[in-house]
Formats: sequence, C-alpha cells, structure tokens
Amino acid sequence: MASLNTFGAILSHAVELEAQLSAWYARLAEADKAKAADKRRAKLERVRRENVVEITLEPIEGLSAEDYALDLSGDSPAAQATAAQVAARFYADVAPKINVRAAQRALERCGREHAR
Amino acid sequence: MTRTIKNYVDGGWVASMAAELTPVHDPATCELLAHCPDSTLADVDAAVSAAKAAFDEWRSTPVLVRAQYMHHFKVMVEENFERVSQIVVREHGKTMDEARGEVRRAIESIDFAMSVPVLMRSDGLEDISSGIDETTVRQPAGIFAAITPFNFPFMVPLWFLPTAITCGNTFILKPSPQTPLSTEYLFEMLDELDLPEGVVNLVNGGAQSATALMEHPDVTGVSFVGSSAVAKIIYETCTRNGKRVQAQGGAKNYIAVMPDANIEASVSNILGAAYGCAGQRCLAAAVAVGVGDAYDKLKDELAKRVAGLKVGYGLDETTQMGTVISDAAVERIESMIGQSQSEGADVVVDGRNFNVEGYEQGSWVGPTLIADVQPNTTMADEEVFGPVLALMKADSFDEAVSIVNQSRYGNAASIFTNNGKYAREFKYSVNAGNIGVNIGVAAPSASFPFGGQKDSFFGDLHGQGMDSIEFYTERKIVIERWV
Repeated sequence: MASLNTFGAILSHAVELEAQLSAWYARLAEADKAKAADKRRAKLERVRRENVVEITLEPIEGLSAEDYALDLSGDSPAAQATAAQVAARFYADVAPKINVRAAQRALERCGREHAR
Repeated sequence: MTRTIKNYVDGGWVASMAAELTPVHDPATCELLAHCPDSTLADVDAAVSAAKAAFDEWRSTPVLVRAQYMHHFKVMVEENFERVSQIVVREHGKTMDEARGEVRRAIESIDFAMSVPVLMRSDGLEDISSGIDETTVRQPAGIFAAITPFNFPFMVPLWFLPTAITCGNTFILKPSPQTPLSTEYLFEMLDELDLPEGVVNLVNGGAQSATALMEHPDVTGVSFVGSSAVAKIIYETCTRNGKRVQAQGGAKNYIAVMPDANIEASVSNILGAAYGCAGQRCLAAAVAVGVGDAYDKLKDELAKRVAGLKVGYGLDETTQMGTVISDAAVERIESMIGQSQSEGADVVVDGRNFNVEGYEQGSWVGPTLIADVQPNTTMADEEVFGPVLALMKADSFDEAVSIVNQSRYGNAASIFTNNGKYAREFKYSVNAGNIGVNIGVAAPSASFPFGGQKDSFFGDLHGQGMDSIEFYTERKIVIERWV
C-alpha cells in the first residue's frame, strides 16, 4: 500500500475514501450517508485543487494508506460504525500533517462528520 | 505516426511551414508525445499580422467585457484542472503536487487580470490653470509577445497573457519547444472562449521564431523567462529594435540558516525549495549557508532526509521528486557534480547514475547534497538547474550576507531564523529581488511584481503586479480647455 507522503497523496486518498464510502452506502440504501460522502468527496477535490501551495510543499512522513483500509464487505450497522471510525481516525491523523490551514480545516471537518 | 503540434493564428489552428521538428518526450517514460515545429519567419509574420489586425477592435472592446472573458477562462481552467496538471507532468516530469501548484498559480494570474478594470484607472486634476483640466489615461500599447521556458509550461505564459489582453493588447506566445503541450491545451481552452480572431496567437518553435518576434517591427514588447545568457540577448535584441522588454534570467539562490532556527522545520521547507521541480526553477534553493553551529546540524538533518525522498514518475501521487527535463540535462548536472567533487567538495548524497525501477529510460538525477562547498567554485557560483543543494559554512551572520551578495545573480534569497533582528537586516542588505524569511521559495503572488536583480533580470518593469499594468499600457496625458 502507498505511503501518504505528499499533500496530493493525502487529499487523493481522502477523495477515494469518500468515493468508496458513497458507493457502499448507496448499495446499502443509506441514501443520506451516500449523499454526505459524495458531498465530502467533491469538497476534498476542490480543496486539493485550491489549496496546493507551491511555496510550502514539503515531504510528509509517518503515514501509510494501509493503516486506513476500509472493510466494505459487510452491511451491518456495526460494519458501518467501523468504517466511520476508520475514516474519522484517518482525518484526525492526516489533518495535522497538512501545512495549509484551509485544507487542514476541511479535513478536520470531514473527521468530525464521520465521528458523529 | 506522432502528430505535429499546430500553431494557433487568427482564431484557428494552422500547420507551421517548418521543416525542422523537435521531438517532445515524456522525460520519465521516454514516450514520444508529439513533434514541435520550429516555426518560420512566415509563421511569425502571419501571427503578428493577425494580432495587428485584431488590435483596433479589441482595444475598443469595453474593459469590463475583456475582464469577463477572464472570468470564463478561469472557470474553464478550474474545470480542466486535473487534465492540465497531468499534461504538465507528462511533458515536464514534475510531480502531480507541483503541477497542481503550477496550475493554481496560473489561475492566480487570471484572477489578477480580472482586476484590470480597477488597475487601469488613472488620475486627473481640475484647474491646473484657469479652466484647464489635466488627466491621465492608460491605453493598451499594442502587440506583445512572450517567450516562455520549459520549467513552468502552463504558469509562466499566464503571467503575461491574461493581463496583456485584458489591458486591451493583442498577444503572441512562443512556448519552449521542449514543453509545448500545456500551451497547446491552454489555447484549446482559449479557442473555446470565442475571443475575437487574432487577439491571442500561438507560435511554436525555438530561436528562429523568438528572433523573428524580437525583430518584427509591429511587435511592441516582449516578455521572456529563461537563462541569464539568453535573457541578456533578448534584452539587447529587443532594445536595439526599440521594444519594451522584461527578461527574467537564471539564478543561484542562497539560503542562510541561523543557529537559532528550528532546524527540523527549516529542513522540511528547504527540501521542497531545493528539490521541488527537481531543482528546475529560478527560485530553487541552490546553496544553504549554515551559520556557526547551524552548519553541522543542517548537514546532518539534510543528509538524513534527502536520501529518503521518493523519486519517481510524477503521475504517482506518492512521488516526491520527478525527473529532469532531458538526458542532456542529466549529463550537464552530473558533470557539474563531478566538477564540484574535483574542487574538493564532499558529495554527501550522490544523485548521479540514478534510476527508477520501471522507468529505466527516464532522465533521472537523484537528490544530491554537496557539503563543504567553498566560495568561487562551481557549486557556489554556477546555476545547476537540477536537484542539487550545496552547503557552505559561515562563521557569522555578516559573513553569510557577504557570501549571498557575492553572487552575480539576484533572483531570490532566504533566511531561516527566529530572530527578528537578523531577519530585518537580511531583508535590508541582501541584493536579491525576492526575499524569503523562513520560506525557501520566495515566489511572489500574482499581485506583486516578480523581483529579480543583477544577472537575474534585464529590463525595468518586472512581470506580474502593477509592473505588468505599466508594461502593457501607455499613459497619455490629456490637457483640456473648453471656452
């Protein structure tokens, strides 16, 4: 699994995570959750586009995508809770590593939404 | 068969009459992407004629309408943001983050151009004598050209084009023949804007077409970004031909690191500054001067982290440093590293003979760290334009400033410190056009002029900011009396 060692790697992982969750929730007929995940995906794409600051791009260390792998094979409420916990932990871990406050804030908010 | 890129003249795509073609490769995969024509004098003349024919109607198009085109243009670039970034990666070899950062900064320049209706306003004074009023008005100056480099193939053209045309001028772009695909896509978007024919024109090619633009009697002014040697030629040729010119040249950017600096945080930023875009940018950190005991700490921390940078194909999001532009660049950079070694410097991390699995044909130079560099040597004086950071030692702040100011270049310089006195003194006494304090890449945003002094800039008015409004407009003084 890939290292989350750049701004783009982290944001792209977040985009992919929300896309997977949106598709999964849609399959489970959880329309509101699917819509919320898709909204976060779109927001994260915008954040990736608008907050990449050339002069402060720095290597990022200590994060690996495999620590945040989602298990989307189940369909129970427990499986959904576990997926949300993984997502919340991902956002909590990556947000402090980003040195652009607007992007950091967006990641923190995504984390809070998953932790609800 | 690989396609040959066309020119964009008078609102349409036209084949160049060129006999000479430059192959355009993906520098990581070595895939042949296209051929770039070396446009002829006739090609250039056609573009200038189109720009000239379009000028009168365009300059009388209301400035708010001209600015509105920029609004639509910005939306278009935002919508195609990822596509443009991928094209930049493929033809240049930089990473996706760097390409996205480049496109973002290009958009900043479009944003700036949207403010032209405010920035073109001028002033006036009633009753400078009895019943006589005096006003100034800014008018578009004519036909402008830009000759742009390979290292920021999408951003640098947009330092110039949006402001030039929103001010009411018409425009001809000649991009680097090594990276013409980003600008081809740029013009595909401009084509969708439905600007009047001839307002924007694209002429691909090398020295022949650049010279033709500089010598063409109908071209009002030329903007250039590239090496100092060429910038000087551009400046001399343009001034000899009576043109406005802004020619940004090369650089050797120094970073002073004071003993009070947070070394770990400084190194994080210095890594991006030195190895971002594989060091192929005029604001790249080239020499880090460690002051006092900062030198050893800096060397140790850099040695540890430089070797850990992930080098690879830019389209892989986890890549932290991409290729250099060509095999010729590899050869040149490796030769300079060897020269430095023979001059007694210590190659702590050696990026020569570097390779990336799966991309063995690519133009790779690994991140290189060279310590114990002495003044008046290759690494202290010459622009490398590659992923090489030199380390020099200074015993004091004053000695560090002296080392920085010995450079014949004056593009940028930075200091890492927690001491306001050192920061203030550095800003005050260093002869460079862009100064960073705890920032390794002192890149001005679009509303500020892009500085540059000594051999890093030839001209009077810089690119970006209010300088660009001055460059692209003529001021007319009107003195009125009605009796």
